[in-house]
Parts: sequence; C-alpha cells; structure tokens
Amino acid sequence: MEVFETPLPGVGSRYEFTTEAGDRLAIVARRDRRRELAIYDRDDVDACRATLELTGEESSVLVELLGGTKLTERLGDLRHDVEGLSIEWITLPASSPLAGRTIGDGRIRTATGASIVAILRGDTSIPGPGPEATLLAGDVLLVVGSLPSVTAAGELLSP
Amino acid sequence: MAPASVAPVGIIAASTSGGVLVELGFVLIVLAVLGRLAARIGIPSIPLYLAAGLLMGNGSVIPLSQSSEFIRIGADLGVVLLLLMLGLEYTPSELRHGLTTGWASGLVDLVTGSLPGLVAGLALGWRFEAAVVLAGITYISSSGIIAKQLFDLERIANRETPSVLTILVIEDLVMVLYLPLLGVLLIGGSPAQAVVSVAIALGAVVVSLVVAARFSEAITRVIDTRSPELLLLSVFGITLFIGGLAEQVQVSAAVAAFLVGVMLSDRIAERGRELLVPVRDVFGGLFFVFFGLQVDPTTLPPMLLPAAVLAVSGALTKTATGWWAAKRAGIGPRGRLRAGLSLIPRGEFSIVIAGIGVAAAVEPDLAPLATSYVLILAIVGSLAMRFADELGARFLSRSSTTRPRTPV
Repeated sequence: MEVFETPLPGVGSRYEFTTEAGDRLAIVARRDRRRELAIYDRDDVDACRATLELTGEESSVLVELLGGTKLTERLGDLRHDVEGLSIEWITLPASSPLAGRTIGDGRIRTATGASIVAILRGDTSIPGPGPEATLLAGDVLLVVGSLPSVTAAGELLSP
Repeated sequence: MAPASVAPVGIIAASTSGGVLVELGFVLIVLAVLGRLAARIGIPSIPLYLAAGLLMGNGSVIPLSQSSEFIRIGADLGVVLLLLMLGLEYTPSELRHGLTTGWASGLVDLVTGSLPGLVAGLALGWRFEAAVVLAGITYISSSGIIAKQLFDLERIANRETPSVLTILVIEDLVMVLYLPLLGVLLIGGSPAQAVVSVAIALGAVVVSLVVAARFSEAITRVIDTRSPELLLLSVFGITLFIGGLAEQVQVSAAVAAFLVGVMLSDRIAERGRELLVPVRDVFGGLFFVFFGLQVDPTTLPPMLLPAAVLAVSGALTKTATGWWAAKRAGIGPRGRLRAGLSLIPRGEFSIVIAGIGVAAAVEPDLAPLATSYVLILAIVGSLAMRFADELGARFLSRSSTTRPRTPV
C-alpha cells in the first residue's frame, strides 16, 4: 500500500491512500498536533465527503482501537499474565518539564519505579528507548510499572 | 475591611484614566459583539471591525475622545504583531518547497494581482508611490480569512487546497522584498539616497535570511525557555525593540517585525505562534478600529466606484489564477473553482499596507479606497468560498466532474 504525503504550508502535512474497497482517505497532521481524518467524495474526487477533527489524545485512542500498534494487543495479554501490571499511554504536553530532555535526565525509573518502554513520535516509534533518548513535546510514551509507580510517572511527565 | 475595598475604587475614579478605561472597554466590547455577529452570519470579523472604526471616528456617531491615544499605540502594536505572525507563519522548509513547486503560479498571481492596483492608481492621477501601495493592496490575499474559512468549511484535506496554500506562501515571500522596498520608496529623496536606502533594505533582508539560516540554533538557545510567559515576553520584547529601532532610522516597524518573524527558528516559532495569537487578535482588532477611525466616512462614497471596479477585477484575476494553479496540479473543474474563489478574500495585510501608505501621507484617497476595497472583498470573498460548490454545480457541467483519476 502506498501513502502519499503532501505538505500543507502553514497547516502541516496531508497523508492519503486508497483502501482496498476503493475509498480514498486522508489524514491531515496539523502543526498544532490535531489530526483531521477525511474521506474523499467519489463524485467530486477533489472534495471530502466527510471530515473529522481529532485532538492529539483522541487520535492516539483511535490508533489504539484500530489496532494500529500490534504492541497494544500483546500488552493486553501481558496485563493478564502479570497481576498488578499497569500500562499507560502518556502524551507529553509542551508544558512538560521533561520535553526536550533525555529519559536519563528525567530519572523517572529512579524516582518512581516505572519504565518508559516505547516512544511514539508522529508515524515513527522508538521501542525500548535508552536513557540517552530525548523526549519531545507531543510524544506518546508507553509507561509500564505498578499502578502507583505509573501514576507517579504520569505526574512527573505531565504535571 | 470597608476602607480597603473602597480605596482602589476611589483611586480609579479620581484619576483621569477612568475615562480612558471606559472608552477602551467600550471599544473592546463592541469588537466582541461584532465578532460574534460575524461568526453568526458567517463572514469574517475584519470588515465589521473596520466599520466600527468608521462609526467611532471624528464627527461620527460615537466619538472617542480620551482613549484615541491608547488606541493609536494599540494599533501600532497590532501591526507589529500581525507582521511578526506573518513572518512566523511558514517554516523555512515550507518556504523552500513552496518556492520550488509554486513559483509559476506565484508569478502569475503577482502580475495579475498587482497590475490592476498599479494601473488604477495611475489612472486616478495618483503619484507613482501611491500606485505602488495600491498594487500591494490589490495583490496580497488575506491568509487569515482564507485559512479560517478552509478550516470552517472543512476543506483543509481537499486536493485543491495545497495549490491555494502554496500561492499564499509565495505571497508571503514577495512581502519579504515588497515591504522593505516600499519603505524605501515612501521615504523618497534623491536617486543617490534611494540607491543607498534600497541597498540598506536589501541588506537587512539578506542579513535576516542569513541569520535565520546560520544562527537560528544559537538564537533559539538564548531565547528558548520552558516558561510560556518568559517566551512571550522575550519574543514580543525583542520584536518591539527592533521594530522601534527600525522606526528611528525611518524603516517601518512593521517591516522589521516581519523580518524578526522570519529570523526566529522553528522551535520558537511553533510555540510563539500559539502564545501570540490571542495577543495579536486583541491588538489587531484595535488596529482595524484605528484604521477605520482615520477614515472620514464622508470620503467613502466617491471611492466606491473605483473600489468596486478594482474588486471585480481583483476577484476575477484571483479566480483565474487559482483555477489555473489547481488545473496544473491535476484538479477537476469543481476543485479548480473552489481554489480560485478561495483566493479572493483580502483583509488584514491589505489594510497593513494601506496603513503604511497612510502613515507616509502619500495620497488622501488611499485610506477610503483601501477601506472600501477590503470591505467588499473580505465579505464577497468569504461568501464566494462558502458557496463555491453551489456555483460549481450551476456553472460547470456535471459530466466533467466524474472521472477516474490517480492520486498525485
């Protein structure tokens, strides 16, 4: 499957592809981290039949529900196997004191016991980031640990 | 506790600033009400803000006496903020990409957009400098109105939209040269002085572009801070300071603010934009009111005919340019019409350019003509965008809209 990227100056980027059923759809990744999901019209091919505006959080949830990351399914299994294991997706806000700093700087594991096991950044993902990995505003972090430790890490990351 | 609560009230009542606050509060409330009205009937707020200024000016319905000095300063801040944001709007990579993909449609847009203004200015018997100001007014589209409409009409993902946005990018780049050169032209002087001034203006542009390319990381390191408050203070402070210095050497503060915006790097630009938008909207609103205040409503009627002629030619040339640009991008007829009509709105930057001309007292008819022109095209343009599909269904044959195509 081919995804076409088109820059939208001043707005962000548009990614579009055609589904197997023949529908064309686009995701507009806006600079303000909102996402727009659009389905093109079959009659007027340049216009959209439906559009949907999603906040950063809503789009992460949507991705999770669509099963976009196989990781999620496997994590679900893990939750069954290890009692008390808490797994949380945390979006790093621009106001976070850790935005722009490394995982090592944040000393999250030392302070709370929870670990950042993956970073989702735009359409790339960094599995098992080391202490030298830099966190950026807008990153979605997969944090794993006991429930209290994950809660404490959430407060550090996104106070 | 009673005396403590009474004291501050007494201070305000006793000082002369009470009247100013009342008037200023009144102006802002009027803007808030008009903004709501505009949103309700689906037109941009800029024409209503201008109209509010017209109604509050000298010898008109509601005269402002005490607050006019503050509104003047607020309007100065508004212009500086509008142009700072214009400079911040596009990232360097967007500018590069826009220039490589859109230079042809941008050139067509430049010629067809500015010629009517230049010709009309000369035909009205204006000085050459005034005609160049008018050329800028008829050329520059309102990226504020257009972007808002594209979002509101849910057309941001449409396939013709990149063609529209690319033309706006090129217009932004043209401003990088136009505004400094306009500043030089308006100062006037002997040919030798003009050559020196042009060299200084172009030097400033080159220096700011080089600074943007080479030292943006260093600037970012100095200015960047996690605190939104400190970032806002730094960016706003630096812009005003440099703008003020520029004004001292007879370069418009607006031009300097624009170049400061171009110089700031991605990281600061991104957060700066979010922080500055509400500040710009308040002072930008005051700027439109102030511009309206300077226009005597009785000077408008004689300018309505030239404004209408310019508006018709401006609407037609922009529609043709957008149609052509979208066609080159492989867009169908209805998308081409949407792209063309999307370029019609004129607004904030036409008024900014007119404001620079008015400040230089280049032509008494400039302000009423620019006001009428923007009043017409801000409203007509946004309505044309809204009803683009109805117009398309009416005037374009249906058969031409259904055809298989491959993604571009």
